[in-house]
This record gives sequence, structure tokens and C-alpha cells, in this order.
Amino acid sequence: MASAQIKKEEIFGLWGTFVELVKVSLRAIMASKMRSFLTVLGIIIGVLAVVTVLSIIQGVFASFFKEFETMGADTMFIRPNYEMFKSHVEGIRRLKMTYDDALYVKENVPDVKDVAPFLMSTDQISYRGKKDSTQIIGTTESYITVNNLGLDEGRFISNVDVATRRKVCIIGVDIIDKLALPPQCVGEEIQIGRGTYTIIGVQEKKGGSFGQSQDDIIFIPLTTGIQQYGQTVANQVFMVVQVKDARRMDDSVDKISTALRRKHGLKFGQEDDFRIFTVEQVRKIIKQFTSISTMVVTAIVSITLIVGGIGIMNIMLVSVTERTREIGIRMAVGAKRKHILYQFLLESVTLSTLGGVIGLVSGWGLAHFIVFILRKSVSETFPPAYVPIWVVFLSLIFAALTGAVFGVYPAYKASRLDPIEALRYE
Amino acid sequence: MAALIEVSNLKKDYPMGSAGVFNALKGIDLKVEKGEFVAIMGASGSGKSTLLHLLGCLDTPTSGSYLLEGTPVHTLSSDQLAELRNKKIGFIFQSFYLLPRANALENVELPLIYAKIPPSERRRKAMDVISFLQLENHAHHLPNQLSGGQRQQIAIARALVNKPSLIMADEPTGNLDSLTSQRIMELLKKLNEMGNTLILVTHEADIAAYAKRLIKIKDGRIISDELMKKN
Repeated sequence: MASAQIKKEEIFGLWGTFVELVKVSLRAIMASKMRSFLTVLGIIIGVLAVVTVLSIIQGVFASFFKEFETMGADTMFIRPNYEMFKSHVEGIRRLKMTYDDALYVKENVPDVKDVAPFLMSTDQISYRGKKDSTQIIGTTESYITVNNLGLDEGRFISNVDVATRRKVCIIGVDIIDKLALPPQCVGEEIQIGRGTYTIIGVQEKKGGSFGQSQDDIIFIPLTTGIQQYGQTVANQVFMVVQVKDARRMDDSVDKISTALRRKHGLKFGQEDDFRIFTVEQVRKIIKQFTSISTMVVTAIVSITLIVGGIGIMNIMLVSVTERTREIGIRMAVGAKRKHILYQFLLESVTLSTLGGVIGLVSGWGLAHFIVFILRKSVSETFPPAYVPIWVVFLSLIFAALTGAVFGVYPAYKASRLDPIEALRYE
Repeated sequence: MAALIEVSNLKKDYPMGSAGVFNALKGIDLKVEKGEFVAIMGASGSGKSTLLHLLGCLDTPTSGSYLLEGTPVHTLSSDQLAELRNKKIGFIFQSFYLLPRANALENVELPLIYAKIPPSERRRKAMDVISFLQLENHAHHLPNQLSGGQRQQIAIARALVNKPSLIMADEPTGNLDSLTSQRIMELLKKLNEMGNTLILVTHEADIAAYAKRLIKIKDGRIISDELMKKN
């Protein structure tokens, strides 16, 4: 009974002292609201900047990853090596990759399980007077398996469709809205450019990616596309290659590379006129991007928090001086050095944490506002800002730490005051 | 039984830079029993404030010994002194020294916070003292909403709240008009009659006259120590 009593008091001693100190801190902070606000402005701006930048980057990241989610470890993406030329336009004019290349790779490299060649174009579409435009992908039956696509309704392109250049199409779900199609749209006829196409399937909803909806798309047979969009597009046929054994990816890349070089008649020492991207490489690019943005963010955080921290230290020193009398009174009635130390330390931590919260909330707001503006001006499908929970905790922890680090010296100074001197202070 | 205060050959020197040291107290011997009401008088610079600080455990002597209820104060660390001030000493100051942003009740509670008393009990104890002084109506007022006399009464409540062994009053009426001064001194006298030990530091003879024992200090030494007859 007696020991329980003591224990209860000890617990109160810790928690109660903490609650007491937070109350005192808040009172001191609220007593001069404007000054407190200006003091933590550095922290507010720092956290605001970081949260804004991170939440927009994270939003883009989230959708970026989604795009490559479907790209399996056993696939690679091959396109002309546009980087050989100064401009992309020149690259398109001078480089060729064709349906033949895709067939050649499939037939001549035993490692290859399947190849999905595809061309891309943009075209006008219409249905019963309703007009719009969308991205057109011309491809073969392999595309759906190689890219792990799903269908809501109907079927995908067949080898017969490709062989006979049939005017059929599979639409992304956005097209239903764009053209105001009836719910059961398979079998309906729509205009794509000058051709009339029959809808044979609807792609499963994929969502947005990189500012572009992946559902705002129409698939048609590759050969039909070549016929409709002509030589320029037909010479820019990309491919997604699926290998039999993902563990021997590097080896397969070499073999495919050799085959394509042979097909393109490249001599020894000549640069590849195509580029191969594997999931591994995409991951590397993402990783690079991540580490660069992390570095930039870390730099912003460090600079602003140091600046903010110095602001806090400065004001806390002023506050300690102003409240010398108060410190003296507290010491006279029994406050130990540690009580004074904790009081001022907690005050600066409370102050900086409040700044962190304000920065967090306003950064969240600003990020959403920026995305809103970007959606109005740049792209309607710009990915939403996304604040991961680790950003919330990290910014609050950093804000609190800044308060703690830069509050130590003023608090220490306060705790070392002599009670008599402090009481006499005018 | 040991005396409440037992001071022998207490000395306090202050370094004065190149001028050497200033001997504020040059050897004080003093005994105060429980229940006494002692006034310490002296001109400014006589060393009475230094003595008050030493007796109030705010400072430690250069040499000599000070036993407070048997505790050798002269050997204690600053944290031990803080604890002693918290538990055994109540201060009353000339300028009241209330926390401006805390209301009367919170000011009275202050010593109990450092004594780690739980909030509800703290509130009850503080209210007890406040009602004893008939200040219930002012418990939630800030110091600047109170008159000088009321502020000093709140300060007295704060000094009493932890039931100290010793109450130290440093010129308690220095900032008050004569009528209020009288009321405050009557209150201190009453507290003494209730069993509290008081040490009063003043330079005014009529204030010192409320005490039962008068000690005069000059140049760091006690020059007279006598019981006052009229009380």
C-alpha cells in the first residue's frame, strides 16, 4: 500500500512535471504570440518547403511506380536510340525500328519467349457526333500478355486481326466518357481518324501515371496502324520483349542486342542505334532520382532548420534574460537547476514543434494548391500530392530536434543563474 | 532538542576584482528557536541582506557553519539547497515576486509543483491557505489585477503553502502604504502566534517593533541582540 503510494507519486513526478512544463511553455508562447510566430517562422518555412516539395515528388513517384508495376522482371523495353542525335526530331527522322525487327528478334533469339511490337500515335476520335482525341497504340496479340493487361469486356487483338489488318479496337475506360458511349459498347463503331473501327474489348481501369491517364488510350492491330499512320510511324515501332528466364536477363539482353545489330547491319565499333531498358535499369534510374531528390531535400532541411534554430536560440536567450526574475522566483521557492533547464528546453521544443505543425499543415495545403494550379494549366491528370506518414513524422521530429538542440544553450544558461542575482534582476 | 537555526562564526566574502575581497559578514553567531519572531535591522550595506540569503538557503557561506533543524546547510549542493528552500523555507519579498502570467492560485501552488504534489491535492492545499487569508474572491485574478496589499497576501500564502519551518520576510512592507503595512505586519504577527517561526529583515524600527526579538547588524557583525519587552 505504502509502496504503491510512492510509486504513484513517482509516476506523477515524471508525467506531472512534464504536463506542468508544457502548460508553462504554452503560456509563455501565447503571452507573446507575434514574437513566437516570428521566432518559428524559419522552422515553419523550412518544414513548409520540405513538405510541399516532398509531397509533390511523392505524388509523381507513386504514379511513376504504378506505371512500371506491370513491367515484370522478365521483360525489357526497346526503342530507337534517340540520344544519338542532338534532337528527338532528328532521331525520329534518321532512326528506324520496324515490325520486321520485332519478328526478327522473336525468331532468332532462342531466349525470347514473346515480343510485343507497338507503335504510338495520337488521333481524332468520334462517335455519333461527339469528338475528342486520344493516344492510339498499334500492336499485336502479344501486348496483353507481355504487359500483364486485363480486360473488362470482350477480347484483345488476335493474330488474325493483325494478319488481315482488321479495323477493330480495344478502348481504355476513359474513352467511354469521352465519347459518351453506351455501357455495353462492345460492337459499337467509332471513328478513329478517317477509319471506322469496331470496338471488340474494354481495357481494365489502370489509373493515372505521370500526369497522363493510362485509360485514355485505344489499341488497334499493328498492321492496321501502319496502314493508317504511314511510314514515319511505321519506322518507329518499339517493342516489349519477354524472356524465358528472368535470371539470365543480362545474357538475354546481350543476345538481343547482337541480333538487332546484325539486323541493322551495324559494324564493329559502331554505336547501337537502339536502347534496351530492363526493369533493373528503370529501378536504377528511379533510385538515382530518389537519391538526388533526397539530397536536395536534405540540403533544404539542414539549411532552413539551422537558420530556424538560430532564430529560436536568439529569442530564447532574450526570453531567458527577460525572465531572469521569474527564474529567481522559481529557484527561491524550490526549483532545482534541472527544473529550470527542462522548462526552457521544453519551451523551445514546444515552440519549434508548433512551428513544425504549422509548416506541415500549410505545406500540405500549398502542395494541393500547386497541384490544383498544375491541373488547371498543365495537365488535368497531374498526380495528386501525397504526404507519406514518414514525412509527417520526420518533419515533426526534425522540428522538435531543432528546438532541443538550439534550446540547450539558453536553457543551460537559465539553469546556471544564481538565485540571488536572478531575484535582484530589474 | 536542537535549535531551529544554529549559526556559528558565519562569514561571507565577495570578490571585488582587483580590490581584493569584501567581507560582507565577519563572523555571525546566532541561535533561533522554533516559534520565535526575529527582526534583523541594519542600514543598507550592513550585511543584513547577505545574512538573510544565507539563512534562507539561497547562498552558501565562505566559512562557518549553519545548521537548520540539524541539517548542515553550509555543506549542501545547489540542488540540495533548492530542496531545502522548497520544504523548509517560505519567502516574503519587498516586491512580492509573483509570476505575472500566473493567477493568484497558481502562484500559491508554485512551491507544491516543485514538491511534486499531484494537481488536485495541490489545488486543495493552495485554496486552504487562500481561504485562511480570506482571498477566495481573488484566487483567479492575475497579480496586476490585485492591490499591493493583496499581492503581498498572496505572496504570504505562497510562503505558507508548503508548511515551512521558517518564514523569511525581506522588507515585506517596503512597497506598501502605512495602513496596508500595518495590516500585513498584524498578519505576520498572527502567523507567529499560530506557531510559525519568522525572521524579518527591515530597516524601519516601527516594522521591527512587531517582532519579539531584535537583532541589529552593522558592518557584518551583530551589534545587539535583545528581546523586546513591550510585546
